[in-house]
Amino acid sequence: MAIDVESRPAGSTAPNPLRAGLDSGRIADPCNVVFFGASGDLTKRMLIPAMYNLRLGDVLPTNFGIVGFSRSAKSSESFRHEMKEAIDTFSHSGEAREPLWSDFANRVTYVSGSFDDTEAFRSLKKQLDANDEQLGTAGNRLYYLSTPPGVFAKIVHQLAAAGLGPREQERGWSRIIIEKPFGTDLDSARALQTEVNRVFDEKQVYRIDHYLGKEPVQDIMALRFANVMFEPIWNRLYVDSVQITAAETVGVEGRGGYYEQAGALKDMIQNHVVNLLALVAMEPPISPNADHIRDEKFKVLSALRPLREDDVPRLTARGQYGPGLIEGKPVPGYREEASVDPLSTTETYACVKLFIDNWRWAGVPFYLRSGKRLAHKHSEIAVRFRGIPHRIFGEAGDQIENNTLVLKIQPDEGVSIRFNAKIPGQKMHIRGVTMDFNYGTGFGVVSAPAYERLIADAMRGDATLFTRWDAVERAWETVVPILSRWADSPIVDFPNYLAGSQGPQNADALLVGDGREWRRI
Amino acid sequence: MTMHVDSPNDTKSILEQLRQSRMAAAAGHSQAAASVAMMNFIVFVDDPAHRQWVLERAARVSDKHPCRLIVLDSTSRTSGVDVTTSTREGGGAVVVNERIDIGVRETGHATIISLTQELSVPDIPTVLWWSGGRLLKSRTFSGLAQSSTTVLIDCSGTGCGDEAIRELGEFLTRFPSVALQDLAFMRLAPWQNTIAQFFDDPALREDLFSISSLEIESGSDAEALYLAGWLGSRLSWTIAKRDAFRDRAGLEIPFRKVSKGDQRRVRSVVLRAGTSTYRAALSSDDPGVVELAVEGPRARPLQYVPLQNIENTSLIERAIIENARDPIFETSLLTVRDLLT
Repeated sequence: MAIDVESRPAGSTAPNPLRAGLDSGRIADPCNVVFFGASGDLTKRMLIPAMYNLRLGDVLPTNFGIVGFSRSAKSSESFRHEMKEAIDTFSHSGEAREPLWSDFANRVTYVSGSFDDTEAFRSLKKQLDANDEQLGTAGNRLYYLSTPPGVFAKIVHQLAAAGLGPREQERGWSRIIIEKPFGTDLDSARALQTEVNRVFDEKQVYRIDHYLGKEPVQDIMALRFANVMFEPIWNRLYVDSVQITAAETVGVEGRGGYYEQAGALKDMIQNHVVNLLALVAMEPPISPNADHIRDEKFKVLSALRPLREDDVPRLTARGQYGPGLIEGKPVPGYREEASVDPLSTTETYACVKLFIDNWRWAGVPFYLRSGKRLAHKHSEIAVRFRGIPHRIFGEAGDQIENNTLVLKIQPDEGVSIRFNAKIPGQKMHIRGVTMDFNYGTGFGVVSAPAYERLIADAMRGDATLFTRWDAVERAWETVVPILSRWADSPIVDFPNYLAGSQGPQNADALLVGDGREWRRI
Repeated sequence: MTMHVDSPNDTKSILEQLRQSRMAAAAGHSQAAASVAMMNFIVFVDDPAHRQWVLERAARVSDKHPCRLIVLDSTSRTSGVDVTTSTREGGGAVVVNERIDIGVRETGHATIISLTQELSVPDIPTVLWWSGGRLLKSRTFSGLAQSSTTVLIDCSGTGCGDEAIRELGEFLTRFPSVALQDLAFMRLAPWQNTIAQFFDDPALREDLFSISSLEIESGSDAEALYLAGWLGSRLSWTIAKRDAFRDRAGLEIPFRKVSKGDQRRVRSVVLRAGTSTYRAALSSDDPGVVELAVEGPRARPLQYVPLQNIENTSLIERAIIENARDPIFETSLLTVRDLLT
């Protein structure tokens, strides 16, 4: 019989009166967190340090358990030892300290097994049941799939087969976090969704995109909807164009095998960058409720003008880096990276011009780009406003710039506004000046890493920063014609940009014809 | 850059010195300098032993939150008026911080109040951090509080006794539009969370309503009293006598406070409910960790939880940022007041 999986654990139903007025909204529910792919790099570098730091920050409840599940055979003791080393090495809070580490470690166990092995999943169930009994985790379970995407569906299937699916659960809630990429194309994404839906309801699925957990991404909504001055001009009447950039200096970082199958369009544009577009272009949600925000994001993605394959050469560009210099040091070209085909045609740079066909944005181009081995690590959204309607100031030769609002995502999170001012003196010389706000120095607060925020949100049942299926599907639909046309068009000029440069020249053509140019990276 | 004005009454000269100092401070920077004040931050100090502690924290706050800091120094360390500006670079801009230190040891309350008003930036919030020995009995305090949006005090370790608690209760009535915050209460947030954690477990929650005794060890009285007041107000306890509450069923709950340990720090809290004992105590291994023990029929394994060490500067920042009355604090305060009456 299906039960209400979101219900609270059994026991006293009265709320804890001592919680009234305390800053407890941030404390997660008692639960077990199961990391699939627990021997992997992500678990060591990010996930376990994130859990430990949530503990240090008093965000975890007192009743929690962590279970690692992976193919590698090892004991819980050995897994704990590895995790302590991981915390000592990668945690931003420094080395694990006693007695908190021992208390934390006592809640960490490990189950080894193949993702094909239902018996291993039954062992996992026994461990979780034991944790419920001994740690007071109340039957609540958060499954985190940090495995290669190819086994996502298999794990979901095995959870149900072993009686760990939410519909088999007698008490508590179950949620599942699924790492990106959700599918490798539209068809595989839909197939995965069908498998996931057999076991989990949509409200129990948390598709993680760590980009959305970054503080500046959340600040976009605050800037737009906690201020009155931007909204009146946030539309086609005042906005000339929007540029969204996600530029990296790193190469494929040992992930050549994965990247060969992905490329910049699937790896960055389809998820991170399209999500930024949704945040910057969506209508105001009626509340901060997760579904209200996600409804608005879906609406704006639904309004993206579908690309026809014939338009792809005109509205997109791609590139691949060759050898070059990053911060003065020589780096190899993409084709020389490990696990990369020496004749690879995978793009490491992609850009696309999109239009949103709705009342607010009709006719405003959104230029999206992302690339590896570019001149600087640099992510931003630049909203360029239209020029003044009639020029009355400025001496001959003075350039009256278009106003630009830049939402800086990394590395210097903040907001800057470019406007024109008079240069002091007898003459009416006008010059563009920049007014900057930096979140770090403005508030003197260091943001928590994205994974900490997102894991805690999933434990609390707050899906605001996770991507709903309809948005994932819509994002895939947007890039399908590009992927299809690119697959059919032979590449003749790869590599076509130097590592450490601004990207390929053919990307400029996208804007030059519109009388615009890319902002410098 | 610091400039000096001899007389605190000469507000025109003070403001002129401020203007000149601001220009001089910004002159060394190629970028445009902005003078930004998000609040007037008025700090009153009259205890020489406490002065340095207060001023250091005030400076840290003003460094992070651009403001006009006005220090009213009633010790003998400041004479006349010092006008200081400093610059801070961030996000490509230069922000000028402004500070005015005024020696007010020999200055009457009316002058202090009018002087402060004249030197404040109009139309922005005013936060008063009062580190003086007297509260409502000081006409300076009352006058400054009246024109403030937030008043911040610290009842802990500064000799604030029963009388201060009573005065704070009266403050709530006299200044209903001013947000009152006491660092001694704000400091307790990690302990409140820790105690609440015991009863997040639904199986233990009913014990909350059969608590039969309460014992708190702390280095200063204010924290123990506030923590007891908070617990009592949350659980709808009434007052039985000076050292006992009464629960909703009319049963008496003895309250014992033990002075032990460092000032401003709670060491342990022990709650008894029927035959169960709930004990939260600082770990001897790490004072940043609390040991949580449940003994009796519902015993639980010993747990260690981190105790968030909230630095005083952060507490002051929180009071400034929240800038609103805190009903939980106010009901706790009134419970303590009733206990002491």
